[in-house]
Amino acid sequence: METTHANAVAAEEDLVASEFLTFTLGTEEYAIDILKVQEIRGYEPPTLIANAPPFIKGVINLRGIIVPVVDLRIKFNLAKVEYTPFTVVIILNVANRVIGMVVDSVSDVLSLTSQQIRPAPDFSASFDTKYILGLASIDQRMLIVIDIAQLMTSRDMELIDDAGA
Amino acid sequence: MAIDMSQFYQVFFEESAEHLAAMEALLLELDIDNPDAEALNAIFRAAHSIKGSAGTFGFTDLSETTHILENLLDRIRKHELQLRADMVDAFLQAGDLLKDMLAGHQGQGAVDEALAEAMRERLRRLSSDRPAPESLAAAEPPAVAMAGAVAVAGTRVFDIQFVPTAASAQGDGVRNFVDDLKRLGELAVVGCPEAGGEQVGYWQLRLTTAAGRDAFEEQLDFIADAGAWRIDEDRSGSADGGDAFGLFSDAPGAPADDPAYGFFAPLAAPAATPPAEDDSFGFFEPLPPPAAAGPAPAAEDGDGYGFFAPLPPPAAAPSGSAGEEGEGYGFFAPLPKPTGAPPAGGAPVEAAPVPAPPKTVVDLAPKEAAAKARAPVAAAAAADSSIRVSVEKVDQLINLVGELVITQAMLLQTAVQMQDAAPERLVSGLAQLERNTRDLQESVMSIRMLPISFVFSRFPRVVRDLSGKLGKQVELKTSGETTELDKSLIERITDPLTHLIRNSLDHGIESPENRIAAGKSPVGTITLKAYHQGGNIVIEVGDDGAGLNRQKILAKAREKGLQVSDQMSDSEVFGLIFEAGFSTAEQVTDVSGRGVGMDVVRRNIQAMGGRVEIESMPGIGTRMTVRLPLTLAILDGMSVAVGQQTYILPLSYVVESLQPQAGDIKTLSNLARVIQVRGEFLPVVVLHELFNLQAAVTDYTRGIMVILDADGAKAALFVDALVGQHQVVIKSLEANYRRVPCVSGATIMGDGHVALILDVSALVGRAKNTMQKAA
Repeated sequence: METTHANAVAAEEDLVASEFLTFTLGTEEYAIDILKVQEIRGYEPPTLIANAPPFIKGVINLRGIIVPVVDLRIKFNLAKVEYTPFTVVIILNVANRVIGMVVDSVSDVLSLTSQQIRPAPDFSASFDTKYILGLASIDQRMLIVIDIAQLMTSRDMELIDDAGA
Repeated sequence: MAIDMSQFYQVFFEESAEHLAAMEALLLELDIDNPDAEALNAIFRAAHSIKGSAGTFGFTDLSETTHILENLLDRIRKHELQLRADMVDAFLQAGDLLKDMLAGHQGQGAVDEALAEAMRERLRRLSSDRPAPESLAAAEPPAVAMAGAVAVAGTRVFDIQFVPTAASAQGDGVRNFVDDLKRLGELAVVGCPEAGGEQVGYWQLRLTTAAGRDAFEEQLDFIADAGAWRIDEDRSGSADGGDAFGLFSDAPGAPADDPAYGFFAPLAAPAATPPAEDDSFGFFEPLPPPAAAGPAPAAEDGDGYGFFAPLPPPAAAPSGSAGEEGEGYGFFAPLPKPTGAPPAGGAPVEAAPVPAPPKTVVDLAPKEAAAKARAPVAAAAAADSSIRVSVEKVDQLINLVGELVITQAMLLQTAVQMQDAAPERLVSGLAQLERNTRDLQESVMSIRMLPISFVFSRFPRVVRDLSGKLGKQVELKTSGETTELDKSLIERITDPLTHLIRNSLDHGIESPENRIAAGKSPVGTITLKAYHQGGNIVIEVGDDGAGLNRQKILAKAREKGLQVSDQMSDSEVFGLIFEAGFSTAEQVTDVSGRGVGMDVVRRNIQAMGGRVEIESMPGIGTRMTVRLPLTLAILDGMSVAVGQQTYILPLSYVVESLQPQAGDIKTLSNLARVIQVRGEFLPVVVLHELFNLQAAVTDYTRGIMVILDADGAKAALFVDALVGQHQVVIKSLEANYRRVPCVSGATIMGDGHVALILDVSALVGRAKNTMQKAA
């Protein structure tokens, strides 16, 4: 995954004070490039897809288009997965696809410069560190900056036929 | 003014492309022997239109080339020249060149100027050179000696020297070439390598023929490397008359037996020589008799074209009695004077004394011609009343209508929930809205739908060119041309299909010799078939060739380091040929064999949300089936409930539904279940088990069995309940997600929820498999 990392570094340099959307999964706080976010909406029970992995909740109707919904909390093996009125779905627009992502809550929008994003230590997380662009700390908060496009199109997510090929 | 012009470029490109496509289609349909005057006119018009607009826009290369093309066509149209097969070839290639030029002007590559000049030169030569020796012969038919002389004048002698490539020498390349040359004229083998060997070596041939070098040059280039062949025309020897005539002397005796008679340009000249025996006209007999030369001169008038209805082709003598006088028929000659004759039974005799009436001259009496002229004009006017609209606008319209339909369904459902509280006027208004939206949706949908003949129409050309190049005889059969599919799919399916056809031709169909050896007809068949199946468009490309060699594929896969085992099923093994860089062709030809094709084909088809399957039987043939989703289609569906979920079954697959009795369901070796329906045992698919759902009903006697029929195979699907019948808009799951087994798509229900549409053929197939395992 040398190339991925190189891309990430290259992308980083271009990210001169880009805006990021932050959201929480359990106790962790994540940040994603806001340009990948199409909209945010409340959670509604999706239509099940037979024999799909558990983190794929199903599909919803987003104004006439069929959008798959993944629950990152299940994907990242978080202990508590519950659907409350505050549970939100972030609708992402990555790789010419529209994908819904269930998170516990959305916090805010931040500007981060490339200096603020430090490379992540090589730890074994519940998902491969290749999707982590880096870590950023702002006012005692630690944000995990993830490359959401890379993550969503990866083979692990099973969202795309022949993904990662 | 150039600024003003550039905005019309796109229109010009599109129109020219259409003209070229029309021209090509007409050329391919053209009966060389017997060209339809209307078709010739249409080809001429197409060339003329391109020339005109190219001139206006200042694309000189296009206008120059079309100008020459047009001149040649004009002479053929006016019967000053006899149409020959090599002309059609030249026209087709000129069409290709024009297409390249168009692409060049659109910024996609450039055309080699030398190539363009060569083509122009070739066309010029065709139009100026040898003003139809055939017509000379025809003008004075009884003069056998004279005709013989003409044949000599049209005869050329070529010295051909070449060293074939090892591949073509070991295969049939050289043999085919020599056979073809024999067909062209008299062939003397001056020198050839030791017989019995692999035939690699120096060949020297001497060919006496009426054909030009283009007739065989290309083929020679194919079997020998560039630089390893040479063609010299021996002008001094120009074939003594005896030789040339002797070659053809047996032709008059049994012309009907000679399949080449009259159909090959090179033989056209000698065909004039046969003495007027009844036999000679044997093959004209089936043709319509009238031989009246009506308003033919009008056809020579540029303004007159376009007003002739398709004509009954030849004015051949129907029987031997008129044969003597009619012997000039079949050849174009300048018409000395217009001759009108009623197209009645006696016509041939009356017309016969006219010196050599041209074969394709308009057969209509002037009055009839005038009457018929009006109809095509009206038709043309109707065809012209179309507008060009950008696809984006249409798409936007389709999306909006889709939204409207969903909103309308939601309203309707709300009204239904209100029950008696809903005012009657609201209910009737909603009913009307439903009708209108449905009509609106249908009309909007139909805008984007085009018959698949738009794709199929280009394949006769592909097959013609390739089979000639490969020395194979192939017939292309198409069916289901009227099957409609979305325009965007039409555009994107063309390349993959072309690839599949080329592949079938190159690897599937064997050479004529091998086919005969295998006890098959020497002419291979490629079938192209399109039809709707469920929510899919299915396009089949089949051939009756050698089939795929399982062992060879497995061996090749191992060589490539792919994970394979002998236990793999046929379909898995055949699927390997879609892997990148995979080709089992023993030799790489310029047609296929580099293994870059099939993986691209699969990728393109998958990108469209489709899939491709291969079936093959050794010695019987191969069939490749492309399934494409019909993303825009509306479907009549039956909704069924399982637990909390709703699924849609395409209504066309549903035969009946019933509530089973306790004893109806039996198990087979504890694996598969069957249900007895009126004496027939059908496999049972339990939907909640298949999809791992929490069902509300698990007791068979309390749920519903829906009997499904897909392609003749039946199965019973067990669901909780039937919900209703709807017309649903098929939405693609693949657009944002992936293909799901047993699901062909999704739709949005009246309440805004998503329901999945079940893939009935997959369900039935699954049931069948389970049955077979259990049995």
